[in-house]
Amino acid sequence: MDVEKKVAATPLLDELEKGDWPSFVTEIKKAAKTSKMAQGLLEQVEASYVEKTGHWKHGGIVGVKGYGGGVVGRYTDDPDRFPDAREFHTMRVNQVPGFFYTSEKLRALADIWDKYGSGLYNMHGSTGDIILLGTTTENLQPCFDALGEIDFDLGGSGGALRTLSCCCGEARCEKSCIDAMDMMYDLTMYYQNEMHRPAWPYKFKIKISGCPNDCAAASARSDMALIGTWRDAIQVNQEEVRKYVADGMNMVQVCRKCPTEALGWDEKNQTLSIKTEDCVRCMHCINVMPKALRIGKERGITVQIGGKAPVVKGAMIGWILVPFMKAEAPYTEIKDLVSRITEFWAEHGKNRERLGELVERLSLATFLEGVGLKPLPQMVSAPRANPYIFWKEEEVVKNG
Amino acid sequence: MSFVEIKGQQIELDEDGFIVEPDLWSTDIAEYFAKEEEVEELTEQHWKIINYLKDYFKQFGIAPMVRKVCKDNNVSMQELYALFPTGPAKGACKIAGLPKPTGCV
Amino acid sequence: MARTDFGPPDYKTMLPPVIKRNYGKWLYHEVPQPGVLRHVSETGEELYSVRVASARLVSSEFIRDISDIAEKYCDGFLRFTTRNNVEFLVSDKAKLEPLLKELDEKDYLVGGVGLSISNIVHTQGWIHCKSAVTDASGLTKNIMDTMVDYFTGKKSVPSRCRIAVACCVNMCGACHCSDIAVVGIHRTIPRINHELASKICEIPNTIASCPTGAIRPNPKLKSVEINHEKCMMCGNCTVVCPAIKIMDPENDGVSIWVGGKVSNARSKPMFSRLAIPFIPNNPPFWPEVTDAVKHLVEVWASNARPGERMGEWIGRIGWERFFAIADLPFTDKHLDDFTHANTTFRSTTQFKY
Ligand code: SF4
Ligand code: SF4
Ligand code: SF4
Ligand code: SF4
Repeated sequence: MDVEKKVAATPLLDELEKGDWPSFVTEIKKAAKTSKMAQGLLEQVEASYVEKTGHWKHGGIVGVKGYGGGVVGRYTDDPDRFPDAREFHTMRVNQVPGFFYTSEKLRALADIWDKYGSGLYNMHGSTGDIILLGTTTENLQPCFDALGEIDFDLGGSGGALRTLSCCCGEARCEKSCIDAMDMMYDLTMYYQNEMHRPAWPYKFKIKISGCPNDCAAASARSDMALIGTWRDAIQVNQEEVRKYVADGMNMVQVCRKCPTEALGWDEKNQTLSIKTEDCVRCMHCINVMPKALRIGKERGITVQIGGKAPVVKGAMIGWILVPFMKAEAPYTEIKDLVSRITEFWAEHGKNRERLGELVERLSLATFLEGVGLKPLPQMVSAPRANPYIFWKEEEVVKNG
Repeated sequence: MSFVEIKGQQIELDEDGFIVEPDLWSTDIAEYFAKEEEVEELTEQHWKIINYLKDYFKQFGIAPMVRKVCKDNNVSMQELYALFPTGPAKGACKIAGLPKPTGCV
Repeated sequence: MARTDFGPPDYKTMLPPVIKRNYGKWLYHEVPQPGVLRHVSETGEELYSVRVASARLVSSEFIRDISDIAEKYCDGFLRFTTRNNVEFLVSDKAKLEPLLKELDEKDYLVGGVGLSISNIVHTQGWIHCKSAVTDASGLTKNIMDTMVDYFTGKKSVPSRCRIAVACCVNMCGACHCSDIAVVGIHRTIPRINHELASKICEIPNTIASCPTGAIRPNPKLKSVEINHEKCMMCGNCTVVCPAIKIMDPENDGVSIWVGGKVSNARSKPMFSRLAIPFIPNNPPFWPEVTDAVKHLVEVWASNARPGERMGEWIGRIGWERFFAIADLPFTDKHLDDFTHANTTFRSTTQFKY
């Protein structure tokens, strides 16, 4: 897009071009050299800084043909003052699993976005998508068509499966118990319809972390967290353990931090012991001695459900639903579980009720029965402490 | 906000093209919106959904959840999108003259 | 009809050959210098990843610039991290030093690895969100300007410190589980434009959207009313009904939360808890916020044991000690009164002074 107009003065934002940290203001200004929309944004944000208030209107509803989501409509609340920010829609573009790119792909993306939009991006949005910030209603469809030519599809928005995300998994992490990127890619391809055509009570997020370090923040930020794990013994290389000790590692201190006292150090024989039945896979010992300790060999995932930010009924960290399940392509068991869960939720959930809130409202027992899972002690931190138990009619002797 | 003239009547639209005064809705307006939302011609199938949406809104004061639309009208999501290519929220609700559905964040 | 439902680009076409060859075979990694990761595979091959800071909100010019750099030193391969950093993936060790040199010349900040404060996960703010109470990009810029030595490794911290900024209580991003979270808040109840509401409000949905049941219908106006006493200023209703507004520049502001974590490493995941209920919204520098964050980091860094995250340190010493050591007032605002409130009340005679 071409530009003639001189950008209005932005004294407050200019202050944020100083300092060591990369400046978003500088980035907007770079884009504003060739994009009127970026100029409009600059003016509007300066006004927000002066007035201490946002200038975007309540959500718009725009889109591309065939999809019910992937685009978030945005309009300025003052088109007379900020005519260049009049329409400023966001396109959510499904990122490459693990956020890996070639420069060629990024350049192709930039060429398209310079042509159809503001030339500004969030790399990446909170959910994981590439966020293309700012385009007009008119440009949405041609931009989407052009993105399709370089294999970039839109992600999810609204009451749909949101764009999945994952850590870099086996691509670049020795701790990964699963092929997180492949799992994300496979599930994403499998659930295209659920992602692009919202039909659920609210958003549904799936995030995948290769191990309990949970770099993708899956348990806190997704309705369904798939977290790599193992259930046999940690692999120990005593030779390497001794090298750490020789290099000054205080093994007594390392062992003290094991939350379950599963870790032991025999000073005399210079050997590390791990009581596998006591290990809760907290990653501590593996994190501090990566050369000596490796995850076990019998690998799979733990499934947690219900994680979310505070809207509506308070924040939650996901609860254990399945302690261990295999996670090998084509992930049939996982897909089956996802489908059972989303089906139950779509059937019983109220408008804007996330999965975790539904489970709280109906009870975990009801939910487990609904999705066909048996209660397990791993699901709770303690059993109930109150005596008000719901007994079912078929569990008691019929009276009279 | 903008105005369009439909059969001699000035109709106010919001920036997404939804009708501002739902009371002014008419079948002519529905025909106009249909063109905007990539629906070639409003068939009996379309009208069934449109009337369903209007009735539901009248009765409950809200737009039904998509799943309910499919269930109550015995159509699949695919069929719904075939009827309304811009989707049930943007397409069908607009044509039916419902207030703009409020998506989540 | 245009192509639909084809998904993201296949990740396999985006990986450097050294990763393809060693996929699933990595043995360990180390941090040879701040901002650099060295991954070693069981095949003996190694990969250097060089992490640089980014504003997250970037321009096409930035994208092309990092592409140029990646082409020069990494055969065009790069990635982003979950915390919005950029990583250059170097498979030829000889190119590492020249890359670092060029990054330095171009003023890229290398860091954010290991015992450092990495990039802030933040939200859209006034740049793009309708609900933004404050500007997440601006807060992030100011906080990281102050914290930059912790990013580059000039100063070190006892353990990781994840900072998040969200511009409203929706807390997009992992604010509710961050070591330090800065969250925009409202302090006044929403106002209703009845005239508009009568046309566009889906009244039953609006009533249902309120977590405290503070909204009731007003049939006379074909609108709704808000019960002041029950309203906790969460803004949920404003998301559902465009006729309800909650923005109040004079009263809106920023709160600070501490001690959350997502990882299962050592201790369990924890929620962030309220430390400072209100700081005025003071752009463009938000000096009170940056001071508070700096103070919290310094208090933690000088009191925690090596390896202890903020929440683990506080867990060990107790919240009562935390408020004393950090010299923060404990007020009625710190007492929870929402859905899980009673899980936060103390029910033992064991406590400190
Ligand atoms: S979650 Fe685990 S496997 Fe994934 S990047 Fe983090 S440490 Fe590695
Ligand atoms: S992983 Fe954690 S629980 Fe298991 S042995 Fe190591 S430190 Fe102990
Ligand atoms: S935290 Fe609130 S204001 Fe910020 S992006 Fe999320 S919803 Fe918008
Ligand atoms: S701000 Fe929250 S508590 Fe207050 S009326 Fe709206 S939804 Fe209810």
